Amino acid sequence: MTAVIEAPQIKRQSKSAQMRKYGFFPGCVAKESCKELFNSTMLLAEKLGIELVELTAAACCGASVLNDTNRDVARVLNARTYAQAEALGLDDVITICSTCTGHMRAANKELLESEAHMGQANAILGKFGAKYNGGVMVRHLLWLLIDDIGLDNLKKMVVNPLNGLKVAPFYGCHIIRPESVNGWESSRNPHSLEDIIEALGGEAIDYAGKTRCCGFHVQLEKEGIAPAMVGQNMRMAKDKGAEAVLTPCPLCHLALDGYQADSAARWGRTDLPTFHLPQLVGLALGIDPSLLGLNKHIVSPGLVLQAHDLAPAHVA
Amino acid sequence: MSFFLDIYRYDSATDEVPHRDRVECDLPTTMTVLDALENVKAEKDGSISFRRSCRAAICGSCSMNINGTTGLACKTPVDSVLRSDNTVAVDPMPNFQPMKDLVVHMDPFWDKYSRLKPYLQPVDNDSDHATERRVSPEDMHKLVAVANCVMCATCYALCPVVSVDPAFAGPAAIAYAYRFIEDVRDSKRKERAAQISDDYLWLCAHCYACSYCPKHVDPQDDIIAVKRATIEEGLTNHPGPRHALVIAKTIKQTGMLHETEVIQGTVGRFNIKGLIKVAPLGIRIALAGKMPPVFLKPVPKVNEIKLIFDTLEAPVLA
Repeated sequence: MTAVIEAPQIKRQSKSAQMRKYGFFPGCVAKESCKELFNSTMLLAEKLGIELVELTAAACCGASVLNDTNRDVARVLNARTYAQAEALGLDDVITICSTCTGHMRAANKELLESEAHMGQANAILGKFGAKYNGGVMVRHLLWLLIDDIGLDNLKKMVVNPLNGLKVAPFYGCHIIRPESVNGWESSRNPHSLEDIIEALGGEAIDYAGKTRCCGFHVQLEKEGIAPAMVGQNMRMAKDKGAEAVLTPCPLCHLALDGYQADSAARWGRTDLPTFHLPQLVGLALGIDPSLLGLNKHIVSPGLVLQAHDLAPAHVA
Repeated sequence: MSFFLDIYRYDSATDEVPHRDRVECDLPTTMTVLDALENVKAEKDGSISFRRSCRAAICGSCSMNINGTTGLACKTPVDSVLRSDNTVAVDPMPNFQPMKDLVVHMDPFWDKYSRLKPYLQPVDNDSDHATERRVSPEDMHKLVAVANCVMCATCYALCPVVSVDPAFAGPAAIAYAYRFIEDVRDSKRKERAAQISDDYLWLCAHCYACSYCPKHVDPQDDIIAVKRATIEEGLTNHPGPRHALVIAKTIKQTGMLHETEVIQGTVGRFNIKGLIKVAPLGIRIALAGKMPPVFLKPVPKVNEIKLIFDTLEAPVLA
């Protein structure tokens, strides 16, 4: 009776990749408390010569929580988002948040694998004249950088190498797990962030915490849980010599950046600045550091950036 | 071809600190980690302790940490985990107290299981067993995956919430709660939902570490279903359900997860003590210049989003 987990089809030559024009789903946090993520993503897209068409009428992906209230609503909301991308002739929806990635991919998988789910979604979408034909793939900016831009090209574009900056990758659960939904790389031994860090001239730190949970989703449920999870992981990174953290997820960013002050009492001071993916890539590709929102961090990256001659004192 | 087993050694009765034994195994790497351990125990060092019985992923005894991640030794071929230094490191499961070598004290895991009253409490009081309790194939289908659970505790060992708060029930216990909550023959749905709610159901961090279940039970889907059951049973006076329902509310109203409203709705708008507790992070965020907006403009065509919620009768915070 054991189910066989099949890795989903991921790598494809999409129409969006050929046109270098993608549907873009920034997610709620990049529009609210982490605007620096949204802004640095748009600057990076310009630098890469790709167009990100924001799906402005899209609803929240469900944030991994909407499924707790109703089993259908997040799936149908996401079907509406995919229909909007299809109506624009775009077959990739690019995300910049691990949780958006995982939950939008899970919804898409359910829609594509079940006629009943697709029928239910389209019956509701039909009420306002929309239809999802099943042609969309949800991909994270991290995957776009590696599959569509390519590490070699990225390396060639670096004008401001990270000068050996020791960066600890922090993936965030929902971009790697469950593998039946994501499957773009091994969830136990991912290395895409390490590949990016090294392409930018940094040194990737290997530590057990990189695939563990930041605790963001339970920060309000019980006091102390999220700070403990942050402290545990950041201690491991710090002990391996990390000077900074890189994450593809703004929820991880908020937890890691926000809770190191609270975790210090139990886990010791770690004070690791936590970069959003497009901030660090943008910095190395020569985007004006003062535009990347490096001053919007609780743990300031200023000293680390100055030590590696990456940004002047006033920007962070 | 030979490889090495790097084995954690510790006897809680005699040893102050653990040590490790590195044992060369002149064996094919196609064998399982359990077979390799059995071989070492039979041929080289009979004092090594580990639990095992069926050797076929049915008894759930031989879960251990293998090169840093937990799984069943009987289901793990050596060549699938062999490190570049030709070694497989075996350790006791994390989140448990080591007893001897790879054997751990399982009591906290069993205690959480026992608290569920893990037996059917049927609808009727049919003491003479005169009628069958029939279950439709559709209803039975929901219980098939969790019926594969062998209680190996791999999910419990991998759970990052258990690692910081041992009060959390853990994935396996919640999956078993699901098994009875969704059984049409059981009569204690509300009591079971209340019990598992009290055992910190809502502390699940949605990290999907339990998706590494060696029996593909995948407890995370059961955890989500149990959360829905607690909401259906009206057990919403916890931060967890309030959090989920206020998120639903703000998405229905604005299309977006409205961060400031979600914090207030989860903690409780008039829960001054609770709000003071979350204030330090809020202040740090504000000082960093990234305070989320207090008012949010709805996304275009938000009426379509409302229609989706209404058609599906999806609940939101009242």
